[in-house]
Amino acid sequence: MNESERLIKRLPNDIGGLPGPPIARTDHPLEPWEKRCHALADVLDFRKILNTEEKRCGVEALGSEIIGHLSYYERWIVAFSNILLRKQILTPTEIALKMAAVEARWTTGT
Amino acid sequence: MANQAQGHDHDHHHELEGHSESGIPGYYDMLETAIRELLIEKGLIEAQEIRRQIEVLDSRTPALGAKVVARAWVDADFRARLLANGRAACEDFGISFYDDTLLIVLENTETVHNLIVCTLCSCYPRPVLGLPPDWYKASPYRARAVSEPRKVLAEFGTIIPDNVEIRVSDSTAAVRFLVLPRRPDGTEHYTEDQLAALVTRDAMIGVIPVSIDQASVPQ
Amino acid sequence: MIASSVRALVVVPALGELPRFAAGMGVRVLVRSPIGHYRVPIYLRGKTGLIESVIEPRAVDNEQEGFGRNAGSRLHYYRVAFPMTEVWPLYQGSPNDGLRCEIYETWLERT
Repeated sequence: MNESERLIKRLPNDIGGLPGPPIARTDHPLEPWEKRCHALADVLDFRKILNTEEKRCGVEALGSEIIGHLSYYERWIVAFSNILLRKQILTPTEIALKMAAVEARWTTGT
Repeated sequence: MANQAQGHDHDHHHELEGHSESGIPGYYDMLETAIRELLIEKGLIEAQEIRRQIEVLDSRTPALGAKVVARAWVDADFRARLLANGRAACEDFGISFYDDTLLIVLENTETVHNLIVCTLCSCYPRPVLGLPPDWYKASPYRARAVSEPRKVLAEFGTIIPDNVEIRVSDSTAAVRFLVLPRRPDGTEHYTEDQLAALVTRDAMIGVIPVSIDQASVPQ
Repeated sequence: MIASSVRALVVVPALGELPRFAAGMGVRVLVRSPIGHYRVPIYLRGKTGLIESVIEPRAVDNEQEGFGRNAGSRLHYYRVAFPMTEVWPLYQGSPNDGLRCEIYETWLERT
């Protein structure tokens, strides 16, 4: 199997049995936004707007590079965004405008 | 080029993101706010649901699992029901399951030591243990627990004799697992609350046993 | 003994309703390469084990669920027991060690 096949045949999260370093017993209390993100995932699942398996599939679809650079809940919120866009529940412009509005609260105090 | 399970794979929190001196939230924090507010504006979810689910999550901690273990240690009938149907026994005990997961409780014995992992993602018995630690969700544990569990346990200070089977359960579907650790010797006179105080999250994952010395170690 | 006075019930189960495999049966994980989403780790493909238990109730194929399918035909998942030495030819732990995984009915065949 060459590298181009391997990238498609083995999902980036399918790592059982691969070599790895010693386990660093890290943990951190969730940031408020991370907890909100987890709650959002659960509510979207309860509502069948975005089920848990779709979330997993969405994170896998980010690809190795993004997965390697983003933290756990960062991957989730980007995956949610992608899926909600694909389902046409949200549009790119809606997200962009809302992001700008959220940012503006912090820079102008509105 | 062989694949590698990344050691530094950003499952930890970046200390500076969202915590600049001005206190401005990071990009992903703001993205979460944007997505949530848009969904609420469209009437697809309600703010109340998010608030409530945060409370649900806050209420699920390893203390719940510890109570289940302690009850199983003192009540043989409960233990039997727990092993027959983990979710039903926990629900009867008062722990609701807010999702569609099932629970199989894995009993450690003289001949079997159980360990749980999710190699593909981070499946974990959240309704009864709360949220998993970062190391459980990170690549090194997920990659190595299924192929070299004894080395992994040794890194946690746990040595299991070769005549005892280490049984690794890799969650891939709707079933979640809770390890029922062995009750330590010398606890015959303990109350149920005292027993529960001995049981740590890591013992219910299976990486360490329950011992009397662990009682004062914070999780 | 009342059998002679009671007509036996004739009950036809729906397609896929009854589990195809039972506890104790030898099974092999199939080898195939789904595109897009799968929940059978590569390290188990082609491996042989025993059915430890049948998971109830039946459920939707999680490979399809990943693409938004919340309903549809349901089949059984099975908790399959694999010796570690079967999964990893160079396994360095105890020969007693084992692995368990839930596998969907469409991914298994009898040995």
